[in-house]
Amino acid sequence: MTLSVLICDDSALARKQVKKSFPENWNVDVRLASNGLEAINMMREKIADVLFLDLTMPELDGISVLELLKLKKLANYVIVISADIQPEMQKRVTELGALAFIQKPVNSEKLSQILEEYGLL
Amino acid sequence: MHSLVVESLNTGVILVDADYNLVYFNHFMQSHPALKSPDILGKNLFSVFPELPKSWMTRKLQSVVMLDSPAFSSWEQRQYLFKMQHTRPITTSNEFMAQNISMLPIKSDKTKNEVDHICITVEDATDVCFYQEKLKLTLAELERSNRTDGLTQIANRRYWEERFNTAFLSAVRYNEELSLILFDLDKFKIINDKFGHQAGDKVLIESAALIQSMLRQHDVFGRYGGEEFAILLPNTGLRGAYELAERIRVAFENQIVEYKSFNIAATLSLGVVSYHSGIRNYDDMLTRADMALYESKRSGRNKTTVYQAS
Amino acid sequence: MIEITITEEQRDCLQELINVAMGRASDKLARYLETFVHLQVPHIELVSSSELPQAFAETYGDDSVTLLSQGFYGQDGITGETLLIYRADHTKNIANILGYEPDEVSEMEQLTDISSILTTTFLNGLAEQIDNQIAYSAPRVISSSETSIEKHLQDLSFNWELALKVAISYQVTDYEFNCDMVLLIPGVAIENIQQVLDQILEEY
Repeated sequence: MTLSVLICDDSALARKQVKKSFPENWNVDVRLASNGLEAINMMREKIADVLFLDLTMPELDGISVLELLKLKKLANYVIVISADIQPEMQKRVTELGALAFIQKPVNSEKLSQILEEYGLL
Repeated sequence: MHSLVVESLNTGVILVDADYNLVYFNHFMQSHPALKSPDILGKNLFSVFPELPKSWMTRKLQSVVMLDSPAFSSWEQRQYLFKMQHTRPITTSNEFMAQNISMLPIKSDKTKNEVDHICITVEDATDVCFYQEKLKLTLAELERSNRTDGLTQIANRRYWEERFNTAFLSAVRYNEELSLILFDLDKFKIINDKFGHQAGDKVLIESAALIQSMLRQHDVFGRYGGEEFAILLPNTGLRGAYELAERIRVAFENQIVEYKSFNIAATLSLGVVSYHSGIRNYDDMLTRADMALYESKRSGRNKTTVYQAS
Repeated sequence: MIEITITEEQRDCLQELINVAMGRASDKLARYLETFVHLQVPHIELVSSSELPQAFAETYGDDSVTLLSQGFYGQDGITGETLLIYRADHTKNIANILGYEPDEVSEMEQLTDISSILTTTFLNGLAEQIDNQIAYSAPRVISSSETSIEKHLQDLSFNWELALKVAISYQVTDYEFNCDMVLLIPGVAIENIQQVLDQILEEY
């Protein structure tokens, strides 16, 4: 079965960077969202198995998205990809149920490693 | 070749390791007496230079290493860090070299992305510092002379009016008391004609000094015109202003100004007004003081008149 | 008048670079200052030199603020100035944040020290991403409560017409401290940064 993933970031460049860092032969269906609100709506329709989530966004930021997802039990696999890498932030994100935290710009090796760890490859 | 350049720089260069031990200093720094003794390399920066503000500078140096970014110290905030002689002992008066200091991160090992040394540069800013201080003094002096009457050394009309305007607005806004005394030397023209202008000037100077000595710090005393003066009394009601005016009038009456072999006596006519709700603006208040002063003159001089709202 | 426009792609790309730079800077700051630094999405726009004083006046109005400047110069003609603006009621905590002893440093020195730290950590974060190296001039106090920013800027005649302006606000919640940083890249340097952005965009 083809996995479907959602990349949520307000920056078009960042979305491209995430997509480009996917493992070459990863067979996935990619959807994009440019803010937290869009992402929540899409997750509600259960269109994605894995969510790649930015934190610093207008409208609804990543932390609020995580809080909502946790509340509604909507996502199993959330990987946070953020520029904000303060230890305090990493802690908050993990507490809210994110699987992993990747520093921007995304390192593709690190990403593969995480995907493998959770059996997503 | 590079090291030759660093040696001949007109700027001090010091290199310390991550424990702040001295690794290198250039020729410019040798003028510091602490660097004259042998075997100084390897010693701790703060033991070599006890004049350095240790806890502040340690925190700065920490930031250079931890943040991999430069830190600065300007003579404007701290005149110097290193106690050194400067190169203009004749034409400037600073005791020590004024310094602009940069602390720069150095990564000596290219393979490791770690700051392991700090380069401290010491730039002589004595010239800039000296002339900046001079400029400050000149500007302050200019500012002072801009608002002082040349003859009597009290506020000139422009400055007095500026202060009055501010005081008036604040009295209106915060409903504070504010009073004004306007006064004029009686028959000043006769003094000038009889004893000469120099005598007249001396009367003005001594009168101004006498009255100034009777005022509080916040009162603003200004020369309004030739022999006309004004006193601004913040936080003072009508009664206080009238009492002061009377004290001035009496003191003045008893004052004798000596000029050559002459003993010159003079009197004052005064007008007093206090701010109240009927006064709409600044000019209003001045006009009322003028009217009171005129009343003093008209009714025989050497007199204080209080403006009464009719 | 030089015609400079930035495309949506360029703006997006710059914004992402800045986000990452801010992230790196705040991580370093958080470790150095031992506190959490809150980040907001930066605001990017082109401003003309004639509008700048007015823009500052509108943002800061009658507030008593202190303005500091620090110049920077990188390779490939990427140069500019960062302005840091502090509101008077936020300056009292700085000594605490910096870990200085009380009364050890004057208020102006605290402001120059924190300004330098904020500016250099942020710009270093930007430089790393575009393989640049940036050098800095020492920070200077430009205006304080005695002279308004607007007045100070109006007294200057600029030798540039247009500048790329990036506004970032810093919040240090533990200390109730915040300040604004305005990065200004004027004139020809805008084109230089555009070239860098285009190169990055080509890669993706």
